[in-house]
Amino acid sequence: MVRTKIAIAGEGGQGVQSIAKILVEAGYEAGKHVMYIPNFGVEQRGGVSIAFCQISDEPIGEPRYSKADIVIMLSDRALDRCETYVDENTTIVYDTSVCTRAPECSGKRVIGVDANKIANEDLSARVFNIIILGVLLEATKVLDIDDVKNAMELALGKKFNAKPELRELNYKALEVGMQLIKEKAGV
Amino acid sequence: MVNKLIKEDTKMFLTGNEVLAYAANAAEAEFMYGYPITPQNEIMHTWCKLLPKTGAGFLQTEDEISAGFSTLGGILAGKRAFTATAGPGNVIMQDAMSMAEMMRIPFVCAVMQRGGPSTATVIYAQQETRLTCYGGNGEGFRIVYSTAGHQDLFDYMIKAFNTAWTYRFPTYVLADGYQGKMREPVNMYDPASRGITMVPTEASLLPDGEIGKDRKSMHWRNTYNMEEELMEVLDEYKVDFEALEDKIAEYEEYKADDAEILVIAHGIVARSARTAIDELREKGIKAGLFRPITLRPLARKPLKEAVNRAKQILFTESADGQMAQMILEAIYGCTTPYSTLYKMGVGVTGGDIVAKVEAMAKQPATV
Repeated sequence: MVRTKIAIAGEGGQGVQSIAKILVEAGYEAGKHVMYIPNFGVEQRGGVSIAFCQISDEPIGEPRYSKADIVIMLSDRALDRCETYVDENTTIVYDTSVCTRAPECSGKRVIGVDANKIANEDLSARVFNIIILGVLLEATKVLDIDDVKNAMELALGKKFNAKPELRELNYKALEVGMQLIKEKAGV
Repeated sequence: MVNKLIKEDTKMFLTGNEVLAYAANAAEAEFMYGYPITPQNEIMHTWCKLLPKTGAGFLQTEDEISAGFSTLGGILAGKRAFTATAGPGNVIMQDAMSMAEMMRIPFVCAVMQRGGPSTATVIYAQQETRLTCYGGNGEGFRIVYSTAGHQDLFDYMIKAFNTAWTYRFPTYVLADGYQGKMREPVNMYDPASRGITMVPTEASLLPDGEIGKDRKSMHWRNTYNMEEELMEVLDEYKVDFEALEDKIAEYEEYKADDAEILVIAHGIVARSARTAIDELREKGIKAGLFRPITLRPLARKPLKEAVNRAKQILFTESADGQMAQMILEAIYGCTTPYSTLYKMGVGVTGGDIVAKVEAMAKQPATV
C-alpha cells in the first residue's frame, strides 16, 4: 500500500492525539513518510478532537485528505463529525461501549469494538487509547508492533522506568486491541 | 552571540513551530519577544526550552502590541530579534509592523494563520494573507514568504533574517496552524554549510564611536511635519521596494509548462494541489501549478507567462479570494478565463481540487 490515510476522532481527553503521535513516531522510525495534523477546538477537555495521520512509502503532498482509509470514531459526536471522511473504501471502527448508536454511514466495513468497557473492567481506564492503538495497528497492518513499542518508549519511557508495571500494562493493552480486530476479522 | 545548536546536517521529526525555533537559532537570532496565541505558542515554548543551550533571550510581553514594539526596540538596540503571532495577535501587532515599514527596521515575524474574523478558530486558515501583505496604515512595503511545509519553514526562516537585514523591510514567514502543529520530517543544517552567509546585525541606535569623529549622527524618524516631506521619503521607499521584485521574488511551477488548467495556490494549499495534479495527469487532464512563494513582491513576469500559456486558471485558497485578488491585479490584461475554489478557514484537499478541475475540464470557466 502506497499511502494509508488514518483519522482518529474522539472527545478531548480520550487520548486521541497521544496515540496519533505514537503512531506517526513509529512510522517515522520505521523509515516511512509520515504526516500528522491534530485538529481540536479551544477546550482542554470536551471538544471533538481529530487526528489526521498519513503513513506512506512515498513523499506526502496534501496534509489533509478528503477521504480516509480508516476512521476510528470514539464518541457520538465523533460519529457525526467524521462521516465526511468516509467513502466506499473506508474501514470504520467505532467503540460500542462509548457510542450510544452505530455509525449511519457505510464504508467498506464497519467494526464495533468495546475497548472502553475492556479498559475499565479488565485493565485500566488510562490505557483505553492504547487498546485503540492496537486495534488500529491490526486493522491497517502498515506498521510493526515493535516499531510501535519503540515509539511508546520514546513517548512514555520516563513513566515506564519509574513504574515498570505501566510498560506491561500498555503492552497488554496493545495486544488486547490487536486481538479485538483479529476476532472480528474471523467472524 | 548565541550558541548555534545545528552544527551538522540533522534530520528530525518535529512540529512546524519547533522547526521555526530551531531555524531562528540557525539564523543566529538572539532574542524573541512574544505573546501567547494558538497556533504559534510552541515557537515560544521551543525557543524557551532551548535557551539554556543557546544562551539567547526571551521576553513575554503583556500583549501583541507590546511584543511588536519590543521587537523593534530590540532590533534598534542591535539585537537580531524576532517575533511570531497569529490571528487577532497579527491584527493588533500591525501598528508596530507599520512602524517597521516607516523606519525601515529589519523586523522578522512568523505568522501562523488561524481562522477569522476575530477569535474564530485556533486551527488553520489562509485568511491573514491580505493582512500580512498589506496590513497597517501604510502601503505594504513588506516581504512575505508563504511556506508549504517544514523544509520551507526552516529554509525561509533563515532567509527571512537575511532578507530583512539586507533590504530593511519587515519580512514575514507566512505559514498556518496546520504547518505549526503538524509533524513531518525536516532536514536542518548550518546555513554556512549551504554557502549562506548571515548578514551581520548592527545597532541602529547608539552604535560605537564618537559622533562627528567616528561616525555621523543618526536621526531615525517616524514622524514628519510636512506632507511633501513624507511623500519624498515614501517615494524613495517605493523605488527600493519595486527593485526587489527582480532580486528576491520567488515562485514554484509544477508541470505548468504544458498545463491547460493552471492551478494557482500558495502555502500549504499548493502542496495539496501537487497531489491533485499528479492524480489529474493520470486521468489525462493536463493540470499544472503556479505557486507564488513571495506574495510580496509577486514574481509578476513568470506569473503572467504561466497564465497566458494556460487555457483556464483555478484560484484556490483557504480564504475567500485574498490571494486571488492580489494575483488578478498583477496579471491585469491577461484574458485567460478563471474559476475559483475557496474554503474560508478550511483546508483544501487534493480531492477537492481534483473534483473542481474535472468539472472545469467538462464545463470551461467563462469569467
